[in-house]
Amino acid sequence: MIGFIHLEAKSLSLREVARNDEQSFKGVASGEIRIFVCFTMTRTSFRYFTVLALASAFYPTSVLRAESAKAAVQEFDPQAFPGQVVDDVVVPVPSEVFSVLDKLGEPNWRHELRDVDFPKSSDRAKLALMFGMVVAEGFVSVQAEDKEKVKDIGREVINLATALGLIKAVRPHAQAILDAADKEHWSAIRKEFDQTQKTVRDSMEQMKDLDLSQCVSMGGWLRGTASVTSVVGKNFSADRAELLNQPMLVEHFLVTINKMGSSMKEHAIIADIAKGLTGILAKMEGAVDGFTKESVSEIGKTCDGLLGTIKAAK
Amino acid sequence: MSFYTRFLRRCSATLILVALCFTATRSHATVDDAHGFAMEAAMPFVEQGFIVREDYWNGEVKSGQKLMIKHQMFKGNEYAFWLGTANDGVTFELKVLDEKGKEITIDSKTSGMFASVRVNPPKTGTYSIVFSVTSKKEVGLFWALAYGYR
Repeated sequence: MIGFIHLEAKSLSLREVARNDEQSFKGVASGEIRIFVCFTMTRTSFRYFTVLALASAFYPTSVLRAESAKAAVQEFDPQAFPGQVVDDVVVPVPSEVFSVLDKLGEPNWRHELRDVDFPKSSDRAKLALMFGMVVAEGFVSVQAEDKEKVKDIGREVINLATALGLIKAVRPHAQAILDAADKEHWSAIRKEFDQTQKTVRDSMEQMKDLDLSQCVSMGGWLRGTASVTSVVGKNFSADRAELLNQPMLVEHFLVTINKMGSSMKEHAIIADIAKGLTGILAKMEGAVDGFTKESVSEIGKTCDGLLGTIKAAK
Repeated sequence: MSFYTRFLRRCSATLILVALCFTATRSHATVDDAHGFAMEAAMPFVEQGFIVREDYWNGEVKSGQKLMIKHQMFKGNEYAFWLGTANDGVTFELKVLDEKGKEITIDSKTSGMFASVRVNPPKTGTYSIVFSVTSKKEVGLFWALAYGYR
């Protein structure tokens, strides 16, 4: 009998929590049974109220509190969302993270700049990854306000777009980057880099090269994250390190790789990236109490290793 | 096959082709329109220093159907989301929830064919953007959701 009442009460509380607002949730989470009962009275049938009242009378309050707390933890399950979940993920550009790092201090972005002389290749996966990397490098150079570096990157964008057969779509953006660099118009350059990446990804998707489009995003994320770990490592704080809490993005990349065609999935670079990302995800998920300096360094090393692999691959 | 049957078949094929072309053009235009209205919503935010992302979400949805998008946000940035539709006479629901389902939207506005919300994420992590567009006239609605940060 008691077991039956308990089940009824539990299912009721879950249903109510899922349906109602934060105020009701607080009532449940605080374990104030009286508040909870009053609340349910207004919304549920008398039958449910009777069952709940019996439950609170027969069942130990502490247990009911524990159940309520459990219900509170289960309150928002995106998988159980009563609607349609849009699968598309918009990957943040590196400057979204860089802007926070700027607010938390004044990183020396010039120290974060890397060589952009990418090797020539006919491997389209490698080219797409390098394209993402070079655009991310563009965001670093804007942060560093390095005009000459921006121009070098603009030229590399042209080289890679040519190799990918996308120069017609990319040339106007590349030219706009070079023109804005002359005027040191940093916000315009940042916008152009974002547009360049979107144009390239859209063009790839129009050509049904969805896997390549994802490679652009992955290359950009790896380069951006390598910069973030480098800046955070040089001046460690919990607030800075928290910027690496991005498990959803890493999961998205892993799912994307898993969905790729077999030739792409078995590509040596992509297989290495999958392995590296799995390690990064474990570190992000393991940072329950925040990232340590060591975990930041390890994520950075993994990203740097993968960036090196991409550049060195034949 | 008689001349009449052949004529009818050709007419049907042509009509189907024209209808398909019209539908394709129309859907492309309306998704673009929805994004255009989202960008209109973004304009006052740009004047306040928000950087608009080029990437955005879009699609077609049944009137009143709730949609959810998961998105990464960084503590320290302020975000704005702009929802646009190509249909007039609609009502919007647009809110941002944290991992526990608590709404963290700090300012929401609706005007004609777009809605906007602002968010200061309390933590770096994944957030859920929940929204719907409801029309009394249309069954299916084109939508676009864009965002910016500062």
